[in-house]
Amino acid sequence: MIEGKWHPKGSASQSDAELSVNDLGRYVIKVENGTFYRGDFSKVQISERLGNVKRKITLDDGSVFVTENNNAIDEISKEYQKASGFIHYLETHLGWIAVALIITIITAFSFFKWGVPWTSEKIAHALPSETNRVISSGTMRFLDDYILEESNLTKEIQDKISKHFYEKIAPLSVADEKQIVYTLHFRSWSMNNIQIPNALALPSGDIIVTDKFIELSKNQEEIDSVLLHEMGHVVHRHGLEMMIEGTFITVAVMMISGDGSGIGDMGMGLGSALVSSSYSRGHESEADLYAFKKMLLAHINPKSFSTIMNRITAYISTEENRTDIKSDNSTLLDYFSSHPTTQKRVELANHYSECFKEGLTVCK
Amino acid sequence: MEALRFNGTGSEYFKIWIVNILLTIITLGIYYPWAKVRNRRYFYANSSLGGRAFEYHATGKQLFVGFLIGILFFALYTLLGQVNPRIAGVVLIIFMLALPWLIWRSLMFNMRVTSFSNVHFSFKGKLGKVYIIFLLYPLLFITIIALFGVIASIVIPIIKDINPAILAMVGSIVGFSGIFVYLFFFAFIKKSSTEYVINNSYYGQGTFQSELESKRFFIIFLKTIGISFIPMILLVMSANFFTKMNPEILSYTGGTNGFVGGAELFFIVAYFVLLFVVMLIMSYMITRERSYIYDNIVLDDTITFESTLRARDLAWVMASNIFLIFLTLGLAFPWAKVRVTRLMLENTLVDTEFGFDNYITQQERAVSALGDQIGDAFDVDVGVAF
Repeated sequence: MIEGKWHPKGSASQSDAELSVNDLGRYVIKVENGTFYRGDFSKVQISERLGNVKRKITLDDGSVFVTENNNAIDEISKEYQKASGFIHYLETHLGWIAVALIITIITAFSFFKWGVPWTSEKIAHALPSETNRVISSGTMRFLDDYILEESNLTKEIQDKISKHFYEKIAPLSVADEKQIVYTLHFRSWSMNNIQIPNALALPSGDIIVTDKFIELSKNQEEIDSVLLHEMGHVVHRHGLEMMIEGTFITVAVMMISGDGSGIGDMGMGLGSALVSSSYSRGHESEADLYAFKKMLLAHINPKSFSTIMNRITAYISTEENRTDIKSDNSTLLDYFSSHPTTQKRVELANHYSECFKEGLTVCK
Repeated sequence: MEALRFNGTGSEYFKIWIVNILLTIITLGIYYPWAKVRNRRYFYANSSLGGRAFEYHATGKQLFVGFLIGILFFALYTLLGQVNPRIAGVVLIIFMLALPWLIWRSLMFNMRVTSFSNVHFSFKGKLGKVYIIFLLYPLLFITIIALFGVIASIVIPIIKDINPAILAMVGSIVGFSGIFVYLFFFAFIKKSSTEYVINNSYYGQGTFQSELESKRFFIIFLKTIGISFIPMILLVMSANFFTKMNPEILSYTGGTNGFVGGAELFFIVAYFVLLFVVMLIMSYMITRERSYIYDNIVLDDTITFESTLRARDLAWVMASNIFLIFLTLGLAFPWAKVRVTRLMLENTLVDTEFGFDNYITQQERAVSALGDQIGDAFDVDVGVAF
């Protein structure tokens, strides 16, 4: 005897009712108001089991019998109904839940760790190079309007650096990608009254160097090493990759959070920021590697790169101490940093420097 | 008055959710509509009022075609957006033109596939009205703003020679009234769209009625803005906030040096503090709007509604949910969703004195799920209050 409620077809009114099924698979539903329903239990339509949600049995005349006693219904269905409830089986067996959990975690991890960067790289390189110009068309103006100021370097210095760059350094990339046209820009950048030493590359091939960076560099080779690093970003289309990766993450988050209640998305916001920063660390290493290889070809000691990087880091930390801004370079925060630890970069630079000293142009 | 109840649990939903994800992964996403149906069914069927439950009747098959179109459209838009923003702009305009239709279809479909105590809801709004509310009004509003801009660009050069003090005064008056006009427009849209949805919804043969005033929404918006000034002032006062922020967050440009350290930690802490403050402000607005709307809904002139949801409870649940989801890398999502659903339902009261026994499902033609799924892929909120 299974207790439940009975609704006439399409009606909200409900009466208590009882369902019983005999050995021959015939069912009887006894409704409180005195009506009886009889028939083959194999012919009735039973809603699929879902957790402990009430079960609904639709009868021939469209009226429904609803019960909370899921287990009893499952018991009878096993004998008289077609096999079903495969998904419910997965949902109620711990082993399968564990499998689902592990597969989900592994898939999600691999997807973010390798799938997204790999696919993004493929897509980024498949798109016409025109795309790179389009996506950075507004960026230069934005930077000039809100972040950067005009350079204070003399015309002679600017011309000298530019000339060297266009004649000696930019042509190094030709083998990699013919369509890129590099343009060097000199700007000044300050925050909190600290002059920022930096070099930036836009996907279009525009490379910006700040006054402080030029000031801190001691020789032409140091400048070249940083410019080659920036060219690495352009050649590898990192800007475009970042955009595609962002799209991937957004779509993935939307799929996972399902109904889009927004709660999932907001929590994932920070998550995607972390994932993105991990991608950009990969990009930095890639750009470093590009720079080192080119430096060997151009007979520039890769050591110059770590020398200038160290000097920049030292400058920043003294400036921060001077202006009382705490700099915290703990290892935990390295995870959040968009740049590989200087240590690792220095090691790689040293490795390439060894090759350079041996007079090699290719380094393993 | 009796409160709605939610009978589901986080652990039970977790199993359903994780199996959904597993099957979605294995089928490379094809299972998604079926997964969605299972999710919805679980939440609807576990929502009850006086022992009578809701039910979600859509099938995965119904949602599948719309899902495919939605995905294709989204892929097209994203891809075109990367290649050529102009073409993507055209696609977006086409989408804007189709959006009211999508909202309309989606309302019809979702009402149709929802039942309470064996009786289906339905929606009989006119298509023209959706276009008026979601396309014509916004366009009119933009035109007016643009006109103001044109007038300003003509007038300012003329009066600027007269007196800078007068100019500043006129400027601030125009600026402030601009903000008010803007808010009032949103209040008006909120009123119109809410009334449109409610007044065209039916429960069986029963009709929902609501009479709302733009003024009330406007006041809620004003108060919300007033409240958000407090944290804004605090933010500005903590002067380090923006100046210390990592410039690469502003724009990815592939800089060379790694000069940020403390900034990241600060960014993370600030993120959570800001999140909670934003939650509080959002909750204030959501709960006040909800109370006002529910107080003014009547079913068949007899059954009334009420919302007892408090801003601080909602803010707490939402903020702690985000924290949980973040800490568990998303695995706590099922619990989070159950928590927020329970809070919402248990704070929704319905007058059950007259009962529901005489309500009967009305027959109408079937509606395709196209609108629902396309809307979903773009995450357009077409949710119905309950």
